[in-house]
Amino acid sequence: MFRLAVANLTQNRTRLFLATSGAGVALALVLVFQAVFTGASARLTAYIDRTGADVWVSQEGVRTLHMSTSVLPSSVVEAVRSVPGVADAVPVRYATDSVAVGQAEFITYVFAVPERASVGGPWRIVAGTGALQPGEIVIDRSIAGTAGARLGDRVRILGRDFQVVGLIDGTSSLVSSVSFVRVEDFVRARGSGDAISYVLVRAQAGTPAQALAEAIRLHVTGVTVQTRSEFAAEERQLVADMSTDIITIMNTAGYLTGLAVVMLNVYIATVARRREYGVLKALGMRNGRLYQIIVIQALITTGLGLAGALLLTLSLALLLPWMDGLLVLSLDRGATVRVALTAAVLAVVASLAPARLIARVDPASVVRRGTS
Amino acid sequence: MSQPGLQVQHVTKRFGAGDTEIVAVRDVSLDVAHGEVVLIMGPSGSGKSTLLLMLGALLRPSTGEIHVNGVEVTGLSERRLPDLRLRHIGFIFQDFNLLSAVDVLDNVSIPAQLAGARRRDARTRAAALLQALGLGHRLGFAPEQLSGGEKQRVAIARALVNEPDIVLADEPTANLDARHGHETMRLLRRIARERGRSVIIVSHDQRIRDIADRVLWMEDGALRDAVAMAADPVCGMSIEQEKAVIATWDGRTFGFCSRGCRDEFLEQPLQFVLPDPAPPEAGAGPLPPPGGREIVSQPAVPR
Repeated sequence: MFRLAVANLTQNRTRLFLATSGAGVALALVLVFQAVFTGASARLTAYIDRTGADVWVSQEGVRTLHMSTSVLPSSVVEAVRSVPGVADAVPVRYATDSVAVGQAEFITYVFAVPERASVGGPWRIVAGTGALQPGEIVIDRSIAGTAGARLGDRVRILGRDFQVVGLIDGTSSLVSSVSFVRVEDFVRARGSGDAISYVLVRAQAGTPAQALAEAIRLHVTGVTVQTRSEFAAEERQLVADMSTDIITIMNTAGYLTGLAVVMLNVYIATVARRREYGVLKALGMRNGRLYQIIVIQALITTGLGLAGALLLTLSLALLLPWMDGLLVLSLDRGATVRVALTAAVLAVVASLAPARLIARVDPASVVRRGTS
Repeated sequence: MSQPGLQVQHVTKRFGAGDTEIVAVRDVSLDVAHGEVVLIMGPSGSGKSTLLLMLGALLRPSTGEIHVNGVEVTGLSERRLPDLRLRHIGFIFQDFNLLSAVDVLDNVSIPAQLAGARRRDARTRAAALLQALGLGHRLGFAPEQLSGGEKQRVAIARALVNEPDIVLADEPTANLDARHGHETMRLLRRIARERGRSVIIVSHDQRIRDIADRVLWMEDGALRDAVAMAADPVCGMSIEQEKAVIATWDGRTFGFCSRGCRDEFLEQPLQFVLPDPAPPEAGAGPLPPPGGREIVSQPAVPR
């Protein structure tokens, strides 16, 4: 029956093209949005993932960077350093602010770490330097590129002007970026004194991060201790929770559009062949077999649409960052499998109305026509 | 006594009830032997199609029984009917009704696959059948690329691919020109003779009378009196048995349209019929020998 389904589908190639295109655009909507979200999420945790800390220590109860304020006394740093297995502990000051470059403003996570700290500083300087002097700042290359700023230009952040001396890569997205200033500039701007935000901990060689986090929990009280992966997961989950509604709305819109396109196509194709299905029933084909033909047609239409959607999304993932550094698309396997499975379910759902139509086709009508 | 291919016993079909009741088929009884061609004629609205639908297990009679090769079709559940149609009944439709999206070979092999044959076997069987029907060079063609006669031959091959006991043909020549119409008629006759199928044809086409063993007239839902028909083995003309010029040869009786045909036959009978015909099966009705036609005794055309 597969051959018959394929033949039915490919006989009218224009209709097949339009149907798969429609389904493809609808599924691409879902995939692209998913990819944008995944790309932005990855960039949101870029600092956590790349800065080199094995364990993060924060104020008790604080588990994220985003939408959180962590304030720790500087004494915590020494307490952490004394824990067996700790190679280094670096105090980090952090704030969320906007960096104004000319007329443009970009949300940024501002970090300040001591000079020559083993972890926590900029990790991928692509232009200029990461060794900051007072009044100097490192910003993301994409932000600088988008705003037309160069090394030596001045930007405004934390209520003060800074001179751009370095550009870092791979931290910006539509919703955030990472910037670095000197500790004294941060303290002066924020008036935070000795208070720090987090302690970044590097483990001694051979010490697992999980074991080290456990040891710090035992030795240092009044803090929350998480491994890097735990901290990043919490961050991603927070963003996901905040975005659930909009993602659901976008996905639903995409899926419903795809469903409507596939259902309409399969229904029209079924109506057009109603007489042939009547002939098959008269010859002895059971309804179940006819349903199979309908479902196969819907699955093929959806599958081709999905393939087109994947191709489109992957193309955009390659092209968009090249055109606009703030827009990063990342298509992860899990999301793709979820979209594929949902699309398959939608294809089956799209077959219900045509199947109902088939069930009502009277095989006797084939004989009745033209005779008495 | 051998079982007829098709046995219809007091079949009636009513539509509606009370004042709006219509009796489409009224107490019809009919036996069709293996290898016999029966033509059912009659005016529009006479109930021919309704009868054909019931014979094809596409419509249940209100009363009466229909047996196909000994199996009571009217007693089968709805679930078993598709299988019965698939394996025991071959349909030939007026509009050919081929599947437009697949080629000739698939059109014929699909019913075989539905009946459980492997795709390869089904295609081999279909190809052999199409070859036998003179369509070996058209296997990969789309239906739209065929002439009307070729389409009807494909439809006939499709009807035969599962080797059904009975073949039902609904106006098989209606959409064909004279040449293709004759071609189709000869083919239907061959099917009955060579393959032993019971062929029931519903048609308005008078030409089909020439190949029918029996011609039945249907009117107001009932089969009416009809005369016995014979085919002149010399000129092929269909003639009423009572009016035929009779001659006996080789222990068999033949009917002719004229003395001229009779004399021509008697001069060289082997030109027209083969000797030593197989004796007709007991109870199966009079079957003609291969290559010739005998006088038939069943009622056919109404007086």
